[in-house]
Amino acid sequence: MITCEFDRRRFLQWTGASLFATLSTSLSLESLASAASSSPLATNAQILVIVTLYGGNDGLNTVVPFTDPTYQSARSNIALSSSQVLPITDTLALNASIPQIKALYGQNKVAIIQGVSYPNPSLSHFSSMAIWQSASPTAALSSGWIGRWLDLQPHSAFNAIGIGSTLPPLMVGDKSVASMVDIGAIQQPWGPAASQLPYLGRTSPTDVPLGAAAATSITDFYTTARALGPLVPTSPTGTFLDEQLSVVSTLINANVPTRVWEVNLSSFDTHVGEQADQNALLTELDSAIGNFMTSISAGSHPNDVTVMIYSEFGRRVMSNAGLGTDHGTAGPVLIIGNTVKGGLYGEQPPLDSLDENGNLKMTTDFRDVYGGLLEDVLDTSVSDIIPSWKTSLSVL
Amino acid sequence: MSPSTSYAQRLATARLLHRFSFGPTPGQYSEMLQRGLGATHELVLQHGLPDPALDSLPSLNLPLLGQIPEAGSPDAASFWSTIFSGQTALISWWLERMVLATSPLEERMTWFWHGHWATSVDKVIYPLAMQKQNDTLRRYALGNFSDMARAMVLDGALNFWLDNEENYLSSPNENLARELMELMTIGVNNFTQHDVVAAARALTGYATNQANGDVTFDPAQHYTGPLTVLGRTSKLDAPSLVSLIVSKELNASFISKRIWFRFVSGSTEPPAALARSFGRRSIFDLVSALVRSDAWINPANSLVKSPIEWFAGACRALKVNPSSLDTANLHWFLSQMGQVPFNPPNVGGWPYGQAWLSGSVFQYRFMVVEMMLASGDLSPLSVPQSEMVQACADWLGVAEWTARTGNELDAARSNPIQMATIALLSPEYVVSI
Repeated sequence: MITCEFDRRRFLQWTGASLFATLSTSLSLESLASAASSSPLATNAQILVIVTLYGGNDGLNTVVPFTDPTYQSARSNIALSSSQVLPITDTLALNASIPQIKALYGQNKVAIIQGVSYPNPSLSHFSSMAIWQSASPTAALSSGWIGRWLDLQPHSAFNAIGIGSTLPPLMVGDKSVASMVDIGAIQQPWGPAASQLPYLGRTSPTDVPLGAAAATSITDFYTTARALGPLVPTSPTGTFLDEQLSVVSTLINANVPTRVWEVNLSSFDTHVGEQADQNALLTELDSAIGNFMTSISAGSHPNDVTVMIYSEFGRRVMSNAGLGTDHGTAGPVLIIGNTVKGGLYGEQPPLDSLDENGNLKMTTDFRDVYGGLLEDVLDTSVSDIIPSWKTSLSVL
Repeated sequence: MSPSTSYAQRLATARLLHRFSFGPTPGQYSEMLQRGLGATHELVLQHGLPDPALDSLPSLNLPLLGQIPEAGSPDAASFWSTIFSGQTALISWWLERMVLATSPLEERMTWFWHGHWATSVDKVIYPLAMQKQNDTLRRYALGNFSDMARAMVLDGALNFWLDNEENYLSSPNENLARELMELMTIGVNNFTQHDVVAAARALTGYATNQANGDVTFDPAQHYTGPLTVLGRTSKLDAPSLVSLIVSKELNASFISKRIWFRFVSGSTEPPAALARSFGRRSIFDLVSALVRSDAWINPANSLVKSPIEWFAGACRALKVNPSSLDTANLHWFLSQMGQVPFNPPNVGGWPYGQAWLSGSVFQYRFMVVEMMLASGDLSPLSVPQSEMVQACADWLGVAEWTARTGNELDAARSNPIQMATIALLSPEYVVSI
């Protein structure tokens, strides 16, 4: 973002926003329940937090086959040395930039699913991300997998919430879309029209479909603003992903009735200068996840939260001369939570048996990963969400 | 609604003005309803004439800066301050042009092409290189697409953005080659990985000056063997690679679909005739065919305005120059709505459609309206109270209010600011219905 801290501070001053701490401490469960149009999250309702890494995270430098001679030779200019990794088995290690995730792995709270992709992998960011988000390897579906889950739920603005200002396709269904919560302050309109603006959120029989969608977004804004506004930090600190996840953990701990959350981190497209860039991004991911799990473990739903971390593809096994990697295929998916059965799942794809483009061959279909989460976390049969898919990989 | 004007004409006229002209200036919609659709086609297609409103704007003279200093070095603070103020000035400069242009088609098409060749200052850093790219996009905005693509493949900001300075003979970098075909010329699934590998070789030997956006060619670093791209084998450099790709029929259908998608609808398909109008790769021929088509009376072809299109339209209606607004707040609001010129989220360009219809965008739309109305010209609402609601539709170029919005506007007749706030945030104005 171009906006610098100065602008943000100026903005917060201009809106008269005050600090999160002063607003949140006095907030009781009762006041949230009365502010929300919906009842608070049911006890033991399971919650899924989806972390999307945009750009194609290099799986081989995240979960590292550090003793494989091919790993060192194929990417000698970016291969991590033994001092840059944290071993988890004799042959596999985590990038040393994710020590907190390593510690959670040691507590059996991290499932590492290896070699995840789909048949005939696309090397296009857009196609591959569309496939991951729609759960449709042939791109036959335009709706997202969480969107289709939303379609099956009784309508509520709270069922699924994305952090940010634009909806990711995974949260768009055929009938329903998720709500969005900005990590900045939620501020209700003021001035002479303020009392009338909520009425623009009613759909009209003569609305075109997009006009009706615009109206619905206004109603959803007021619904979420009334319920969540007092909870959202107006002056977030920390890194971008940490800010997003701190909003999510605050709202989960306040029993907001939301089953699916989405946050995201970009810039994993490391065609050049990969090591420094990826390590910085993984450090950001690690500290955000560490803080999030600490907050969840101390909160009201310690055993109900499951985090999934994925990217649209991994990267080429062989590095390029620009100290980076081009687009690849299979990569690891990480699933983290206090009730996750930690450990390694699936097979690490061999580095000496690549496809025609020099990319890894997948060993686990991503639909199995979604299947496990749909059935274990979202109480939904995988075949209701992913047409003609019946298998699932359970890690809970 | 005057009895002589049909709803179809109101709809088509409003759509043409919003989608090709950043929205009507005060009085323009009523005038074009009077003059008819043919005259509206001519109006929105007007370009290339001297424009005193744009000529009188101060020119943007960004300094040529040196290399990025080491963090913590004595020069770092002043370097970054110059970079950031230059980025801000560049954004403001372009917003001003969108709003003040008498015939905005050239700016509107430049805005489209910016999203098409989406390059972000976030990575390029130097605003001078982004300004140079913007000049190139404007030069060819309505010209020949083949010429534009040949100029863009040698654009420094695009080359740096897509890592072509790291594309070596000994070790190719496929980023520019892939996105050139996938996103900019022929579209996904119309080429193979072999085509990408070959195209990347054709793009070797080009060095980028990140600071000024120049690209220089070093034949010694260029792959000179024959290359097979899209079934044809020849020696290729960057311009001849682009000529080969753009000559394919796929390019005509791809570009005409991209234009349809951003100007007409994300849910309907263009007629085959549209691609045929692009046979000679003349962008003006394509836009002209589209403007004169019957797409505008099809009720299905509604489109969500992107935040910039909505903002520029509101400024034009209110006679507010963006430069008169608080720059820091304005740019903050735009970034919160997810659309800052020169900073698209990724090489795929801006989101579209329902992605702009989140509660969060609504919140910041309100803040922008609040800021604009402090100085906006509301004289088009200075009519008898019984005529205000219709006058508001005619002023903003809304074909027809729904009962919902009409009722709220009706209840706000005592206060023009109140009425304008409701109108500018209404579904009928946020969406080009």
